[in-house]
Amino acid sequence: MSEGDSRSGGGRIESVATAFRILEGVRERDRVGVTELADALDLPKSTVHHYLSTLASDNYLVREDGRYRLGLGLFTLGASARTQERIYHVAKPNVDRLAETTGEQARLVVERDGQGITLYQAAGDDVDDPPTYAGTVEDLHCTAAGKAFLAELPADRLDAFLADSSLSRRTDNTITDEDELRATLAEIRERGVAFDDEERDQGVRCVASAISDRSGELLGAISVSGPSDRLTGERFRSEIPSRIRNVVGVVEFNTTYSEWSDAL
Amino acid sequence: MNDDSPRMDIGLVGLGEHGETHAEFLQELGHTVHAVDLDPRAKERFRSRYDATMYEGLDELFSADMDAAIISTPNKFHETAALKAFDAGLDVLIEKPLAHDLASAERIVEAAAETGSICMCGYFHRFRNRCRLAKAYVESGRLGEVTHVDARFMRRRGVPGRGTWYTSREIAGGGALIDVGCFLVDLVLYFYDWPDLEEVIATARSDFGDRSDYAYLEMYGEDDEAKMYDVEDSVTAFCEFDGGQTAHLEVAWAANAERRHEYNIRGTEAGVSLDVTTPLESVDPAGGQHRDFRLYEVRSDVVDHYVDSELVPPANDPFRDELATFLAAVETGESPDRCTAEQALAVQRVLDSIYEAAGRPRP
Repeated sequence: MSEGDSRSGGGRIESVATAFRILEGVRERDRVGVTELADALDLPKSTVHHYLSTLASDNYLVREDGRYRLGLGLFTLGASARTQERIYHVAKPNVDRLAETTGEQARLVVERDGQGITLYQAAGDDVDDPPTYAGTVEDLHCTAAGKAFLAELPADRLDAFLADSSLSRRTDNTITDEDELRATLAEIRERGVAFDDEERDQGVRCVASAISDRSGELLGAISVSGPSDRLTGERFRSEIPSRIRNVVGVVEFNTTYSEWSDAL
Repeated sequence: MNDDSPRMDIGLVGLGEHGETHAEFLQELGHTVHAVDLDPRAKERFRSRYDATMYEGLDELFSADMDAAIISTPNKFHETAALKAFDAGLDVLIEKPLAHDLASAERIVEAAAETGSICMCGYFHRFRNRCRLAKAYVESGRLGEVTHVDARFMRRRGVPGRGTWYTSREIAGGGALIDVGCFLVDLVLYFYDWPDLEEVIATARSDFGDRSDYAYLEMYGEDDEAKMYDVEDSVTAFCEFDGGQTAHLEVAWAANAERRHEYNIRGTEAGVSLDVTTPLESVDPAGGQHRDFRLYEVRSDVVDHYVDSELVPPANDPFRDELATFLAAVETGESPDRCTAEQALAVQRVLDSIYEAAGRPRP
């Protein structure tokens, strides 16, 4: 280790952790000045300044009019991190097809650290302005993909998640009660499909189904979302769920047989 | 197969139900089975039931010393496995249909021709004594000129592995038509001696797939949840061939109609009705299942009259005879004239035309 690294127990390098806290802080605010970020993170202004300018000099941040935003150096890291995920390659063409056939926003969501991260998304013809982007992070309890994922978790992992999660309210429809959420997850497990009826965002509905491989490992979920006045009736309850299940089935199958399907 | 046939090393790719049936016969005949699948559940089940050397992948399998390969993977992967087997210099038996789509079937036939490998496709009904005899009656001229074949394969409630790959367009290439309708197309082309298709009118339906009240009376294959279902469960087609001959095909995995697998061959001099209906789980059951194998003629002794004769060939196990024919071909190096890859490609062309005529649904 070079000089100047401050370290705490377990080999954790605090300065690296701080650098990433700062990057996260910038991401959450889109554009931010030194003073605002220092206040928000409760760090000395000079420290924050040093970090920001260092990260900007390496293209991880961009400085514009005295404020900072994320730089494309991070995109290189993020995009290359995604290409390492096998599920991304297997699911991508199927998510594209799902967006095309439904005309709506289709997404591949995987779990990371108790949250759902959009690994890939495709917009159908009816989508003007996608509300999410690849990399968007969302709570699990209030999204269809998140609930589909939670429904398939083994009991001990679900218990651990619920012990940690605050089940915070986003809309009037958000499930914030643990027992109610457990009952909903049981229904989802039975049905194989999860619904989000304006539980995260007012006016947005979503349908999702979890992806597992043949050894039972949970890989993520595929979802279709759209405005609640377009996702209605049979289309919301039956047609889109059926399309999602077809796609999830194909993704699971191709995951199992990736060595043979890659050769095609 | 006689007792002094050499014991061979056979690579078995795809360890589902058809793979298991092949393994059973191969072991009975004293051959060594080398097996591969990528599905951990299928591998485990196979390992517990058969005495076989297990491999992790195709490259590992085909680098081992092998005499031939049998491919019973999901349709979409026939090509991957077959091409690697051809490259390894092996003769190959591929489960029907040859491939999940026409382009893939063409590539298989092309690759087999390039390497000079024997390639058979498992349209096993052609090894059934009844079917061979019907063909012999056609060829002998006893029926006159055959002008129409009415063929049907109907199950009442028999969607295979509803919710597994059989019901996925992307993986199987289609539904009832490509799964069991292919038998009808194969035998009709065989009876007519491989004519080209001129015209076809067809309708494909999906009436049972998404129904929650579906009665699982004759479930075949893996009992999985109904996840994928985007294929047809019945097809009606009318085909006209280049010599003016016609065929009417009725195919159903599920229909509210009597369970039948039969062919009515109509010639200008006589006709044959050939019934090969079997229970779902059996290739060739004990007596009583085949209801009808008759020759319909007219004679004029004393008065004009009808002659309806019952044809009674000995029963045989066509699946086993197909395998024995393949193994004999591997041994002699001579390609059999039955169930060749070229014939299977002709079947695939007709299947493709029927799907085209029925209007391919959006994926």
